[in-house]
Amino acid sequence: MAFDMKMALVRPALKYALERNGHGAALGFTLDRVERGETHLTFPYREDLVGNPITGVVHGGTIVTLLDTACGCSAMTVQKKPSVTPTMDLRLDYMRPAQPHKPIYVEAKVYRQSSNVIFCRGVAWQDDKENPIAHCVANFMKVDSQSIQFRSIALKKLRRLMPWRQNPINDVGAK
Amino acid sequence: MNNQTTDELLLDWQERVGAARQECDPQSLLDMIPYAAFIGAQAKVDDQRLLYWLDKRASNIGNPSLPAIHGGVIGGFLELAAAIEIIYSLDVAEVPKVVDFSLDYLRPGRYKTIYASCKVMRQGKKLVNVSAKAWQDDEQTPIATARCHFLI
Repeated sequence: MAFDMKMALVRPALKYALERNGHGAALGFTLDRVERGETHLTFPYREDLVGNPITGVVHGGTIVTLLDTACGCSAMTVQKKPSVTPTMDLRLDYMRPAQPHKPIYVEAKVYRQSSNVIFCRGVAWQDDKENPIAHCVANFMKVDSQSIQFRSIALKKLRRLMPWRQNPINDVGAK
Repeated sequence: MNNQTTDELLLDWQERVGAARQECDPQSLLDMIPYAAFIGAQAKVDDQRLLYWLDKRASNIGNPSLPAIHGGVIGGFLELAAAIEIIYSLDVAEVPKVVDFSLDYLRPGRYKTIYASCKVMRQGKKLVNVSAKAWQDDEQTPIATARCHFLI
């Protein structure tokens, strides 16, 4: 595959935004691989995320978050100008109960994008990818707003780091 | 997890569920589930129904630039609320198993308290269908609705 310059720039930004901020940091997963329209992540077992105190199985909400993050991450990368993509809906089927004390692997792919909607699907598994614990379909909106494009967000952050310069970079909106 | 056997844990669980029902204290059910403490979910009996809420906390943010609550947290919270609704209001012995979960995001979850309520739509011998709704300012403008199936 040819070297993808845009992905090389977007990848570390996404890794930082998803792994080190807010709920992603609280969960503590790692993004193993981020390509255009494809995301792989690994989540280690944690006892404070248990949903069934009798069996010690991780709560379904954790799996919702992992799949939402992975699908969202895949959706963000397929756009011409990568930007934040709001989730429209998400459907999750639990095929089998997760086993305690084992990491969960997640893979999500974009399988179609139209002019307004990005369609994703994802799987979560533990031992065998052919025997997944959960399968999910999630749809995302494409929003044409400059303020949520990665470029604008990054420039805004950069500006905050340089308070001694009033306007270090020309207007973000200018092409 | 610890040295207790599954049977002992199950008996202990049933005892606590019985106590929670008697004392009208759904919060004590949430206290038994580690995930509830992780996201900070709370519950109370409010006007003949159960009301769940999730106070704002920094570790639940998904998009720091807005800031907005992580969509997965809203999903996990609604799934948790639906499970508690079943444990509290129906006569089930074990923890219900979730089969599928479908979530519609209607509005972004702003960085403030999220409320939720659930309704058991159908109870069969094996399967229960629950619909859940989450809102912030006004119950009439929900931020998300969910529908889930549980095996009991």
